[in-house]
Amino acid sequence: MMRKSTRGARSWAYAATVALVGCWGGNAMAHHSFSLFLMTTTKTITGRVVEFQWTNPHTWTWIDVKNKDGSVTRWGLEGMSPNFLERRGWTRDTLKPGDLVKVVINPLKSGKPGGEFVRATLSDGTVKVMFPHPVDAKP
Amino acid sequence: MKTYRGFLLGVAAAGVCAAVGVAFAATQDRSSPQGDTWESIAKLPDWSGLWEPTFGQGRGDKPPMLTPAYEAKLKAYQAARKSGKIQDTPAANCVPPGLPGIMWQPYPIEFLFTPGKVTILVEAYSQWRQIFTDGRPLPKDPDPTFNGHSIGHWEGDTLVVDSVGFTTATPLGENYGIHHSNKMRIRERMRKTSDDKLEIETTVEDPVALQKPWTVKRVYGHHPSWTLDEYICEQNNRNYTTAKGKAGIDLNFKEAPK
Repeated sequence: MMRKSTRGARSWAYAATVALVGCWGGNAMAHHSFSLFLMTTTKTITGRVVEFQWTNPHTWTWIDVKNKDGSVTRWGLEGMSPNFLERRGWTRDTLKPGDLVKVVINPLKSGKPGGEFVRATLSDGTVKVMFPHPVDAKP
Repeated sequence: MKTYRGFLLGVAAAGVCAAVGVAFAATQDRSSPQGDTWESIAKLPDWSGLWEPTFGQGRGDKPPMLTPAYEAKLKAYQAARKSGKIQDTPAANCVPPGLPGIMWQPYPIEFLFTPGKVTILVEAYSQWRQIFTDGRPLPKDPDPTFNGHSIGHWEGDTLVVDSVGFTTATPLGENYGIHHSNKMRIRERMRKTSDDKLEIETTVEDPVALQKPWTVKRVYGHHPSWTLDEYICEQNNRNYTTAKGKAGIDLNFKEAPK
């Protein structure tokens, strides 16, 4: 029963995501396709912000993530543009170097340490949504 | 006799000129205020503030009816896209889409009225369009450009725009995968449908690529409190597409200039 409803929710979320990504592909995609990203998969990474680049055509958030073996991997996260974000409650200081953040991403298909920035939970618990994503919004 | 024939030719020529004049006037009804002076501009509808396409449009567009040759090009493109042989368009390299796609970006636009001209500032790619409303004809042999050469006139509260002179470097539509021909002509009808909505109906004519004109409507929401932002796509672009359409992303960290 439990499993069934989870699966139902998942397929709903999948359909919604496909629809959303479709919309972005059809209208809101200014610059590039999402062919390099797994847009229906999310992954959560936690680490310290190295730099939040408030630049066009995308913001880039660089985060150092500590791996289980103690080594550190620097992740590069592509996000919405400053033009889009400044009109939706973000500033160039929303993420500051040294901040500990938990970020939900759509990972790269290649498996390399990069992805599309979906949303972040800041150390004070604030959630900042960058890219409204049904898979994440309706778990 | 010779003089008389010359006179007749002159009359005939004048007649042709008059007919052309009438034809021109017939296609351009200039009885409503045309914004050719500041006084006339004051009588135009108020389009101040920023306008952005409302979210999620585009999927409902009727696809263009392509000629067989262009239909074959599209099919080949779609197959290449599906198989992953082609992954992205030159837009990933910051090449703007040209008209009409430039009007459909997820960023705001702004209209400026000055005597004899409407300027559209397009935030995406920091572009602009100028639409001459002073009654001049379209240029006869324009240099091909991304956004073309535009003239316009007001029919009441509707700005009617006619554009020619496009480079074939840009797609037919947005990121469509196929290009229009150098015969493309675009007609737009722009009007406010309510205080907070503006609609642009775009009709693309292309006798080489299209079996019949292709019409698309877009609704723009009003954002009176917004101001335009700079959009320099080359500032920190880490996406790229090769000439063959393979996409890539640069993950090498480099500090952004402060």
